[in-house]
Amino acid sequence: MTDTKTWARIKSPWVLHFNSGACNGCDIEIVALLTPKYDVERFGVKLEPSPRHADVLLVTGCVTQQCAERLKAIYDQMPQPKFVVAIGACACSGGVFEGNYNVVGGVDKVIPVTAYIPGCPPRPEAILDGVVKLLNALNPPKPKKQPKQAELPKEKTKPEAVEAQAAQGIVEEEKQVAK
Amino acid sequence: MIGLIKSTFGDKVQIQLGQLGAAAITVNNGLHRDVLKTMLAADGKTGITAITGLDLGATIGVYYHIHTSDVFVTIKTEVRKENPKTQTIVDLHPGAAFHELEVADLLGVVFEGHPTPGHFVLSENWPQGVYPLRKDVKVNEIKNVPTPASETIKLPENERLVKIIIGPQHPALLEPEKFAVTVDGETVTKVEPRIGYVHRGIEKASESRGYLQDVYLMERICGICNSCHAYGFVGAVEKILKTQVPPRAEYLRVIALELNRLHSHLLTLGHAGLEIGYETLFQYFWRDREPIMDLIELTSGNRVYSSLITIGGVRRDLKNTDIPKIKTTLKELRAKLPFYRQIYENEPTLKLRMKNVGVLSKQDAINLSVVGPVARGSGYDVDVRKDEPYSAYGEIPFKEIVYTTGDTWARMNVRLDEVEESINIIEYAVDHIPSGPFRLELPRSVPAGEAVHRLEAPRGELFYYVRSNGTDMPDRVKVRTPTFANIPSFLKTAIGESIADIPANFVSLDPCFSCTDR
Repeated sequence: MTDTKTWARIKSPWVLHFNSGACNGCDIEIVALLTPKYDVERFGVKLEPSPRHADVLLVTGCVTQQCAERLKAIYDQMPQPKFVVAIGACACSGGVFEGNYNVVGGVDKVIPVTAYIPGCPPRPEAILDGVVKLLNALNPPKPKKQPKQAELPKEKTKPEAVEAQAAQGIVEEEKQVAK
Repeated sequence: MIGLIKSTFGDKVQIQLGQLGAAAITVNNGLHRDVLKTMLAADGKTGITAITGLDLGATIGVYYHIHTSDVFVTIKTEVRKENPKTQTIVDLHPGAAFHELEVADLLGVVFEGHPTPGHFVLSENWPQGVYPLRKDVKVNEIKNVPTPASETIKLPENERLVKIIIGPQHPALLEPEKFAVTVDGETVTKVEPRIGYVHRGIEKASESRGYLQDVYLMERICGICNSCHAYGFVGAVEKILKTQVPPRAEYLRVIALELNRLHSHLLTLGHAGLEIGYETLFQYFWRDREPIMDLIELTSGNRVYSSLITIGGVRRDLKNTDIPKIKTTLKELRAKLPFYRQIYENEPTLKLRMKNVGVLSKQDAINLSVVGPVARGSGYDVDVRKDEPYSAYGEIPFKEIVYTTGDTWARMNVRLDEVEESINIIEYAVDHIPSGPFRLELPRSVPAGEAVHRLEAPRGELFYYVRSNGTDMPDRVKVRTPTFANIPSFLKTAIGESIADIPANFVSLDPCFSCTDR
């Protein structure tokens, strides 16, 4: 049963995009992902307007004071298991705006982050790579695939941490279902 | 115009010619209203570009940057720090409302008689009496309290009316902003905007970074029109330095700025398709935008942040071997334009959603000081590239696109026609580019002085004010972005229309809030 759920999750992750005070650079690259040249929908990824239907939250921006609590509220509304991807240098650490007034600096100061995709802005290929890595991390690692994965990590994504959190999320969901 | 002010006010005003535009007119607090009244009476096209507030030690300077049909002037006045009160000018010129709110929020100037005082950029629970752009405020000492996730909403008094909150997170908005829309049935009766969700304090941050670092910081105001922001800042600094960059650099700048305009216009034209439920059009436009992104990467090395324009010229030369690739890509895009034009002319769904929606009359466009394609769609012919040619625009022939109907359809068509003009400009620039050096070595410190620089960004006139104090960091940088000037037109045109028309009307401004909030 868990296998089927994981399979379904990997084949059609619905993502929600939230701009927490970004410059539009990363946001436009996310939209560019949906368009014919990159076409993220071939991985089953669908942009979803409501947090209540989303599996993955893509956050861009340095998190301004006005957005911090709202970001938390959106995260709380998402169903378990949920994953957060911080896209861009600002979302990872505050970037060029680190230390300004009105800026919290970094998504992980407000909500837990599953994967980081650095860059100002990251190229669409990098975002695509990050998303695919996150999806692959949901699958329990198979011994055959391990050497291939070792060649890949160009990104700051931490596969072990992602897997641990993904597994945790699934366990929590199972508990909720059991209730 | 300057002669008229001199003869009317005599010794009461001090006029410095050639400063901050055509002239800087220094007046006592209070007299600025009379000067503005005289200008408004003398020229029907007088409008306000920006209001700059700046900390001058014992006083706070309030500079009104005014444009008329032929000149651009700055009215300088000062208010005492202990009693920072001045008279509003909103009753004379409604386009000043947002500018005054911003100066009030960031510098604590009280504009007596302003119709809607209150926080505009900073959050509702911002600490009392802390004005971030004052020099005595240290950024790390500001104790911030995050805005709560839900805010109390003032309900309309009339029970028939319903208030609908759009934002901060909303499917139709790519950026976090809030609009409280009051509706009577389906008809919109009032729109109250709340910006500031993307306010990152860039103007303050620029005061603690070097000039070269600031070029990169200013670029990051907006990820779409980034070259324009870099050039706005660089242009103002070069005016203080009194340098003339090499002609080859000017042509390379024009190519960078026009590539910026091309990709921004294609983005908006596609986004408009998405907002009216015509997703195929969105996918088509964004498909054709990708080759332009490749050209930006080819000429600058980066896809989004080109970082090409820098103080003294450009960072990177154009290779002769790249020119054929640029020409082929532009030729392919040009070949696709008739298809899009035919869609805009003949597609019935598109016409239904855009024709006669959000009509802005020419007089309203002038009164609200709107800029760019919004103004040109209403028959108000403002284009800084024509009015005050900068860089190499004086030498390059191009047409100024003006439509007269003033509706959403006209605004989008201005952009569609400008795509073709941009292609013409780039092709001309590539063919006529002079040879020679492309960058000057300039000192890191900038002599004391101040300058303004205006340029035509994709969304309209972008305005920069830079003041230096002789060190290697600027004393004050003020940015007035085009969307900031264009939002009042949306508040006006949305009233009386169906709530379903809001997305199409709104996207026709090409709103960019990361620019607006800074």
